[in-house]
Amino acid sequence: MLVGLTGLGQVQETEKAGRTSAKAEAVQYLYPEQLSVPAGKSTAVALHFRIKQGLHINAHQPKDEYLIPTVLSIPDSSGVRLESASYPAGTEFVLPVDPSTKLIVYTGEFAIEARIVARPGDHMVEAKLRYQACDNDACLPPKTITVPIDVVGK
Amino acid sequence: MKRNTVVLGLVLVILAVFAWAGWANYEYRKQAAEKRLASAATAELVPSAGDPQATLTPMVGKPAPPFSLENLAGKKVSLDDYKGKAVLINFWATWCGPCKVETPWLVELRNQYAPKGFEILGISAEGDDLAPGDKEGWAHDKAAIGDFVQRMHMPYPVLIDGDSLAKPYGGLDAMPTSFFVDRTGKVVAATMGITSKSDIEANIQKALQSGS
Repeated sequence: MLVGLTGLGQVQETEKAGRTSAKAEAVQYLYPEQLSVPAGKSTAVALHFRIKQGLHINAHQPKDEYLIPTVLSIPDSSGVRLESASYPAGTEFVLPVDPSTKLIVYTGEFAIEARIVARPGDHMVEAKLRYQACDNDACLPPKTITVPIDVVGK
Repeated sequence: MKRNTVVLGLVLVILAVFAWAGWANYEYRKQAAEKRLASAATAELVPSAGDPQATLTPMVGKPAPPFSLENLAGKKVSLDDYKGKAVLINFWATWCGPCKVETPWLVELRNQYAPKGFEILGISAEGDDLAPGDKEGWAHDKAAIGDFVQRMHMPYPVLIDGDSLAKPYGGLDAMPTSFFVDRTGKVVAATMGITSKSDIEANIQKALQSGS
C-alpha cells in the first residue's frame, strides 16, 4: 500500500512537470550537455533537438522569404567559435487549408551538425537557436532558446 | 507452535495481498498518467473545431477594447474612428503562413462588403523577441510589413505594434487571431487560427446584422 501511494505521488509530479515544460517551449534541446574537444582545432559536433508533437518549425532555408529560418548561433564572448553549421534539408509540409502552399519544415527530432573551435579551458557556452513554430492552422511568435553546453578545450 | 505458524502465514499472505494491490494500483495510475502526458504533449495551438477557444470566448458579447495605433505612414488610427461600421480586427504577422493564405480572402471579402458598412483593420503583431533598443531589427520588421501589404494588395488600414494589445485582446498567443465587431462596437465572434473563407464571411454577415 505504501509503495503504491508513494508511486502515485511521483507519477503526479512527473505529469505536472511535463505539462509545465510542454507549455513553455516548442523546441527542446536534447544533447550533448558536455563536450571535450581539442583546443584550437575545428571539431564536428551534432546538436540534437526535439520539436513538440503536432508542431513544425521552418527549415534553415524555408521556401518563402517572409518565413523565419531556424538558425544556430554562439555568442562571441563564450570562448567557443561556431565555424560553420550544417542544417538538415527539412521535409515538405502542405498546409491542410491550402494545398498549394508548400513549406519546408522540421518536425520531431532533428540535429544540426556544427563545427566549433574552442579556446583552452572550461567554457559554459550558451548557444542560441532561433526558430518559429506553427501547427496546421496557426503560428507562434518567433523564439530564441538557449542551448547550454559545457565545452572543455584540452 | 503450529498455531503461531498459521498466524504468521496468514499475516504474510495479507501483507503480500496489500503489496500486490499497491503495486497494481501504482502501475494502473502510471499508465493512465503516461496516456494523459502523451495527449498533453500533442501540441495544438488552436482548439479543435467546436471547442470553445478559452482565451477568446470571454470577449464575445462585450465591447471591443479600445485602441489607437499607428499605421505604416505614422498616423494614429483608433477603433473609435469606425463607430457605426462592422469591423474585422485581424491580427496577423509577416512570418505567419496561414495569415498569408487568408489575406487574399480578406481582401475579396472587404471589397465585397465595404459598401454595406464593413471595414477590416489589419493589425500586425510580429511578436518578435527583438530587444526594444534593436533599431535595425524593428526597422527590418516595419519594412517587411510594408512590403507584405504592397504585395498582397491590402486595401484596408494596416496598423503596427499589435503586440501592445495582447493583454486586452486575450493574449494573442497565436496568429492569425480575428475579432468580428458589430456597428455598436460589440464583439460578436472571435477566432484563433485560419478557418475558411466561408466561415469568415459568415462572421462578417453576423457583425453586419448584429446591432443594426
